[in-house]
Amino acid sequence: MSAGLLSLTVLVLAVAGYILGRRRAVSVAGGDARKLHSLPSYHGQSVFLFTAVPAFILMIFWLLAQPVYIENRVTALIPNIEADDAAARELAMADVRRVASGLDLAIAQGALQQADLDTLQADATDLRGKLAGVGVALGADVSQYTFDAAREYRALKSSLGIGMAVAVLAVAAAGFAFAWSRITVAFRARNVSESFVIAMLIGASLVAVLTTFGIVFSLVFETWHFFELYPARDFFFSTTWSPKFGGGSSLGILPLLWGTLYVSVIALLVAVPIGLLSAIYLSEYASRRFRTFVKPLIEILAGIPTIVYGLFALITVGPLLRDWFAQPMGLGNSSSSVMTAGIVMGIMVIPFVSSLSDDIINAVPQSMRDGSLGLGATPSETIRKVVLPAALPGVVGAILLAASRAIGETMIVVMGAGAAARLSMNPFEAMTTVTVKIVSQLTGDTEFGSPETLVAFALGLTLFIITLGLNVIALAIVRKYREQYE
Amino acid sequence: MNDMRIAERVVDSMESKITARGVQVFYGQNHALKDVDVDILDKTVTAFIGPSGCGKSTFLRCLNRMNDTIDGCVVKGSIKIDSEDIYDPKVDPVQLRAKVGMVFQKPNPFPKSIYDNVAYGPKIHGLTRNKAELDEVVETSLRRAALWNEAKDRLKSPGTGLSGGQQQRLCIARAIATSPEVLLMDEPCSALDPIATAQIEELIDELRSQFSVVIVTHSMQQAARVSQRTAFFHLGYLVEFGETGQIFTNPKDPRTESYITGRIG
Repeated sequence: MSAGLLSLTVLVLAVAGYILGRRRAVSVAGGDARKLHSLPSYHGQSVFLFTAVPAFILMIFWLLAQPVYIENRVTALIPNIEADDAAARELAMADVRRVASGLDLAIAQGALQQADLDTLQADATDLRGKLAGVGVALGADVSQYTFDAAREYRALKSSLGIGMAVAVLAVAAAGFAFAWSRITVAFRARNVSESFVIAMLIGASLVAVLTTFGIVFSLVFETWHFFELYPARDFFFSTTWSPKFGGGSSLGILPLLWGTLYVSVIALLVAVPIGLLSAIYLSEYASRRFRTFVKPLIEILAGIPTIVYGLFALITVGPLLRDWFAQPMGLGNSSSSVMTAGIVMGIMVIPFVSSLSDDIINAVPQSMRDGSLGLGATPSETIRKVVLPAALPGVVGAILLAASRAIGETMIVVMGAGAAARLSMNPFEAMTTVTVKIVSQLTGDTEFGSPETLVAFALGLTLFIITLGLNVIALAIVRKYREQYE
Repeated sequence: MNDMRIAERVVDSMESKITARGVQVFYGQNHALKDVDVDILDKTVTAFIGPSGCGKSTFLRCLNRMNDTIDGCVVKGSIKIDSEDIYDPKVDPVQLRAKVGMVFQKPNPFPKSIYDNVAYGPKIHGLTRNKAELDEVVETSLRRAALWNEAKDRLKSPGTGLSGGQQQRLCIARAIATSPEVLLMDEPCSALDPIATAQIEELIDELRSQFSVVIVTHSMQQAARVSQRTAFFHLGYLVEFGETGQIFTNPKDPRTESYITGRIG
């Protein structure tokens, strides 16, 4: 029984439980639902939940544990001479899985019989040819031990599949029976369903938190591997970045970090003034009609795919800056430059600053403005001295959001600023950022275990720590300077 | 609180500070104020009473052009302060509001320190030459708002940390720090307890020596306690305007009588 079919069965059982539970609750009360502690639908819900939830939880854990168990059992069948280290063992297991799925396919298409399989000898028959006939191409002839392992793999998989179906259905039935037997006039089904809801909400937030931890953990783990292969001092303090896939590369983060900060700072220098000023105009001066018309237009900027911004940088802004600024001033003749990427990225993050700031400025109570205007302050004095200080935490939050967007942006940098790692003050020179290098280190056919690949994780972790640090600093600033209104 | 306490009715000056003639106010289609004529005397407390939505706050906000900040509000007729029409295009509403201070219904201290709250007006108008003068203005204003003793040790702490009554006195101190000639108060005690109310009322009576005070109130006792002149508004009309004692004891208009005896409202 497949997992999909099994889930459907459990679900049908649970729905039946809902209907039957509801009906039983009414009949227990002698047809008068007012005598029940909880509404009949809550009794139905309680049967539904007790049937479905434990069964699904069991199924999820089973599905998670099954591959690990099978892997362990089957790996034991591969002789140690053939696979003496982890990588070779992994390769052998990949073969086994491939043969096993090929056998499944062959049986499904009638090229092989299930009964024949047990007596089949890998070397006696042309298994490779047979499998190629059903569309599974193998790199080499199937050895006897691989075939045995594949057979074992299939057998385990099918028996465990049946085991899971039986166990899940048993749990569902048990839950059904338990909840069913609990239905009485006084049973607090309403509270039961309430606690289930709470458990569900906690579960959902746990998933979010655990995912974050998972991401951080995997980053830390791989970074650790990297630092075992490559000295941390060179990584953090070396000023050259030149990965060579033959070995002997120097992987200094400084040029990349410099590029990231340079591009982000230019982007913020573009986005913050434009975004903040337009937010002030929209919220304080513009008429309601103008505002409802213009605000969505600005927000469209956030919806444009970054690759389109990249094209804009590549064919419009880049050449423009080169022809009108860089070349006349003698600052270089490359069309991809930090300036190009920074300006285009700044345009992209304008709506992050403007839209959020606009909402936050609007949230400052009108009585603050009245108080200031009533003292004879002009509207702009009111905004500068009363409204903005009160809106400061939110505005800083908006700017931070824009900053993290800018730091994490990749596409615009590839197309606008190029991919050359360089430490230079000249804004009209091509540079690159951490994110771009993460992409280029991980794409392509490279051995996963060399420092050239693993450096991507160290770069990612560094970036993560920097954005985290930015957040903490901004929080501290906000706490110090904010003027809280009630 | 002594409800029988009645303000001195003697008016020091018979000079008109504000003269309003034929004032009409429209909020879009809504005709909120119809043909109002009022003369507000200098160094006098004038109370505006009337049921909710009768236009008394609207009229108050006309006097310092705070209605300009409301979309779709149109004011017609003439309002003169010291015989200068405040709706004249030559008049700068910002300058006007420095001369006509306002205290709002809900205390609205800025989220700044007590000192900065009071210093806000003098700073933006450049009324002082140095820090020492500013300190002095702040102290005098706080003293006159009867807040100095409570606030002198915590001038640097936020104004929003004060109690409701203290906050309202802070707002009054803030308003008088720019030395206005007229002080408008829009139900200044409606959010306060009786003790804070009594303090504010006492304050209003003291402020009368320097300013002309206009107060909107829902409490007829309050109007009787603090004012020398009372105006009764009803449905956008100014029904009756006269000496406070006369309005409350011997009203000429039957609508005024119905209102003060609690039959309409």
